[in-house]
Amino acid sequence: MLALAVAALGAAVWLSFRGFRSDPAGPRRFALLAFRLAAALLVLVLLLEPGIELRAESRVRARVALLFDTSRSMKFPASPAGPTRADELIRWAGQHQGDLAQLAGRFQVDVYGFDRDLQPAELGRLPADPQGSATDILAAVTSAASSGTGGRPLAGIFVASDGTDNAELSQGLSPAAAAELRKLNAPLFALPVGAQALKDLAVEKVAVDDFAFVRNQVTVDVLVTARGFSSIDVPVVLRREGQVVAQKTIHVDGSHSKYEVKLTFVPDRTGKFAFTVSVPVYEGEAIAQNNARSFVLKVIRDRVRVLLVVGRPSWDVRFLRQLLKKDPNVDLISFFILRTPGDDPHSSQDELSLIPFPTQEIFQEQLKTFDLVIFQNFNHRPYRMSQYLDGIAAYVRDGGAFAMIGGDQSFSAGDYAGTPIEDVLPVSLLPPGPTAVDETPAQLRLTDAGRRHPVTELATSGPQNETLWSALPRLPGLNTTGPLKGGAQVLLQSGEGRPVLVVGEAGRGRVMALLSDSSWYWSFVAAGAQQGPRAYETFWHSAIRWLVRDPALTPMRVAAERLSFEPGGDPPALDVQVRGSDYGAAGGAQISVVASSATNPAPRPMGAALAGPDGNARVVLPPLPAGAYKATVTAKRADGAVIGEAEDAFVVAPASRELIEAAPRPDILQALAEATKGRVIDASDALATLPWRDPERVEVGQRTSKPLWDNWKVLVVLCLVVGAEWTLRRRWGYA
Amino acid sequence: MRLRYPCAMLSRRTLLGSVAALAARRVFAFGDAARVSFAQIRHAGRWDPRPDGLSRLAWEISKRTSIETSPVVKSIALADPDLFRYPFSVFSSDQAVPAPADSEIAELRRYLSYGGYLLLDDASAARGSGFEQSARQIVSRIVPGGQLARVPRDHVLYKSFYLLDGPAGRVASTPDLEGLELGGRLAILYSGNDLVGALARDSLGTWEFEVTPGGELQREKAIRLGVNVAMYALCLDYKEDQVHIPFIMKRRRI
Repeated sequence: MLALAVAALGAAVWLSFRGFRSDPAGPRRFALLAFRLAAALLVLVLLLEPGIELRAESRVRARVALLFDTSRSMKFPASPAGPTRADELIRWAGQHQGDLAQLAGRFQVDVYGFDRDLQPAELGRLPADPQGSATDILAAVTSAASSGTGGRPLAGIFVASDGTDNAELSQGLSPAAAAELRKLNAPLFALPVGAQALKDLAVEKVAVDDFAFVRNQVTVDVLVTARGFSSIDVPVVLRREGQVVAQKTIHVDGSHSKYEVKLTFVPDRTGKFAFTVSVPVYEGEAIAQNNARSFVLKVIRDRVRVLLVVGRPSWDVRFLRQLLKKDPNVDLISFFILRTPGDDPHSSQDELSLIPFPTQEIFQEQLKTFDLVIFQNFNHRPYRMSQYLDGIAAYVRDGGAFAMIGGDQSFSAGDYAGTPIEDVLPVSLLPPGPTAVDETPAQLRLTDAGRRHPVTELATSGPQNETLWSALPRLPGLNTTGPLKGGAQVLLQSGEGRPVLVVGEAGRGRVMALLSDSSWYWSFVAAGAQQGPRAYETFWHSAIRWLVRDPALTPMRVAAERLSFEPGGDPPALDVQVRGSDYGAAGGAQISVVASSATNPAPRPMGAALAGPDGNARVVLPPLPAGAYKATVTAKRADGAVIGEAEDAFVVAPASRELIEAAPRPDILQALAEATKGRVIDASDALATLPWRDPERVEVGQRTSKPLWDNWKVLVVLCLVVGAEWTLRRRWGYA
Repeated sequence: MRLRYPCAMLSRRTLLGSVAALAARRVFAFGDAARVSFAQIRHAGRWDPRPDGLSRLAWEISKRTSIETSPVVKSIALADPDLFRYPFSVFSSDQAVPAPADSEIAELRRYLSYGGYLLLDDASAARGSGFEQSARQIVSRIVPGGQLARVPRDHVLYKSFYLLDGPAGRVASTPDLEGLELGGRLAILYSGNDLVGALARDSLGTWEFEVTPGGELQREKAIRLGVNVAMYALCLDYKEDQVHIPFIMKRRRI
């Protein structure tokens, strides 16, 4: 607009000048031109409306933000066996009072504490027991830069921290973070706290699934960080409740700080176990607590591995095999004796599909891989198995499961009396003889124990359950036995009281004696009687689940409130449910808890409680230091008789990365300083002498404007100039 | 024509006596209920063309294998609830059989679906015989739309005890056994070669029928097939468990 006006005025002056430029009288010509130029300038002044602004200005002090780390990692020692990082910081603040006062003379000083968030703080009241649950240095710096008072320019930021960032900077300074810092346009000066204790080895991360399958390889991914080590071989050890299950050695050479290790092992039994991954604590390490990490792993079965050893093919064998083979939860390994030494197949061995009975492989090498061993009408004598019977009994006592199914080669008739197998059976045996079997048909009847026991639960309703059992076809005969063993329970018996089904426990294992070779009657014969095979299928599925201690069928249970408890937080608590072996609620049971840790396997009393009428109780344990624990709960009756025992595992470990990844990270502080053209300082450096940015910034106070054109004098001059120009032009004879 | 088999001069009385003696060696036995017994289906046609054959098969099984068998063959009607006490039944004739009633077919269907095993043995051993047609009709009524299918030579039936390379019977009329699977197992087996006839003896212990064209070697193969059929009925696919495979493959190569 202005340019247009100037151009228009210039053009007008030029056009008028053209009218008299041929005039030989130069003075006249220049006089007229001067008048016209003066008029044009005056018109321009009127158009532009110029004025004068008067301002009252003062210089503004820039701002310095001092940030002090108040996260929990500051509670770790600043140097091996030295004061905490927080104490070190307080000491620094005390020593720098004069320095800080000098700084305050030059700049507006804003003091903040920071952890996950930024909050105002006072230099004289920095916390000796910082409680911040996380550290986010980048957020603290950007917040401090933008939250200044009165728009003061930022002269710089000072950060005093151990650098253990567990937010955006945990993996180092990213290009995006560096760009964000550069935008601050102010230097960052960093004071690393605890940098003297740079030597540290830590199990930084342990990654493993929540559960694993027994006899299947488990891989534990471990991330070890090593700082301050030059060259050393470090063993990384995985322990299950104190016992080493896997180990690998990493070579730490100082070229990098992170080392990934894969530890593999194969769990050999089910349950919940506390594992610990650890590396040694070397002399001079900043933190010893982060050299081990614990976790709880639940080991479950993918399938129940059953070994079925059969003395001879029969319909009882056939229906059981068919059931087990169809069950997707069962991995069945079976061995049938198809030919005895007395049989004559009229052929050479090569014409037969028979294989040698691999007794050594099964009963010595592979035995522990099975969850359940079933002897179905099997006599061990012809196969020289006496040497393996001890091992089978030990397998049962160690937590295995064993079932013997009747027949003319079973129990007493199978010559097991006086063998280690008799020791684990729930029934005692008779010497071999004609009384070993009783061919009197047996009509089934549930016992009191059978009415409550999950193995014999065909229906949830008691009367219906009883009806279902009593309606099943009579069994054609039973094996006879001696007296029951202590703790054994008869679940089914004949009408006249002969035991049919007996269960019990041997050591940590469970055993079952089915004194009949005709349980298939409950399937096929029952189907012929329009009852269907459901009773048979339900019975065997329940029996297998009970034998292998399916958690759903365990009479006494204990469960930690959580898998992991925070040290110093709520103490560990256990929920206990007490049922007798008859599955009735054990109200009033005396419950006691002992616990052992991975580092101290000796069980120590940890608490006691009294079960309520429903058999339930909660036991709160005392606060425990960090570690992996196994709690064993024992329930007793008032007379001292043991009702049952159950176990659970839990860990006491910090969940926060703040306490896990607590090694000082001066490298992070160095990167921050470099990105902002600041630097890392020593504790002895004075803040006041640091090269803060000191931008000239004035603050405008009062402001007044005075227009230069808005008065009568400008108008009068304009009239006089135009009038003079017109008069002279007329007088000198121009148009 | 009846031939004497000098190595097996056993009369029925001797046979029964031998079986009793075999049973007696298991002093603590549970009795017949624990032994494997065959049931002969009593249908409306000539239901028992080989009266001695199944007893003989039971005896051979007991003599050659660890299976305890009963020499007594139960003749039983399809509608008899006691059929379910005999998971192995034989349906046989040498001529066409009147079609069983629907209720009988339904019962047979239940029998097979709950685990029963049915051997259809064509005693006439003639291709396209009346019995064969009857058998195929019965099968298609038991499983609507179902048909007998060839039992492949690598089926576990041919290696359940003996390693066999094919079927056998009194004659070699059909090159394959046929069958129908239910629930993943062979529930119905059809033999067109008079399998049981190859084992039948008269009251003097003489082989009742000549075995053609293979003679006594073929008879032995028929006995072995009978043993395998019973072993399969009792053990199902046991011989296909992983542990057996290397042994069987090695012997197959010999």
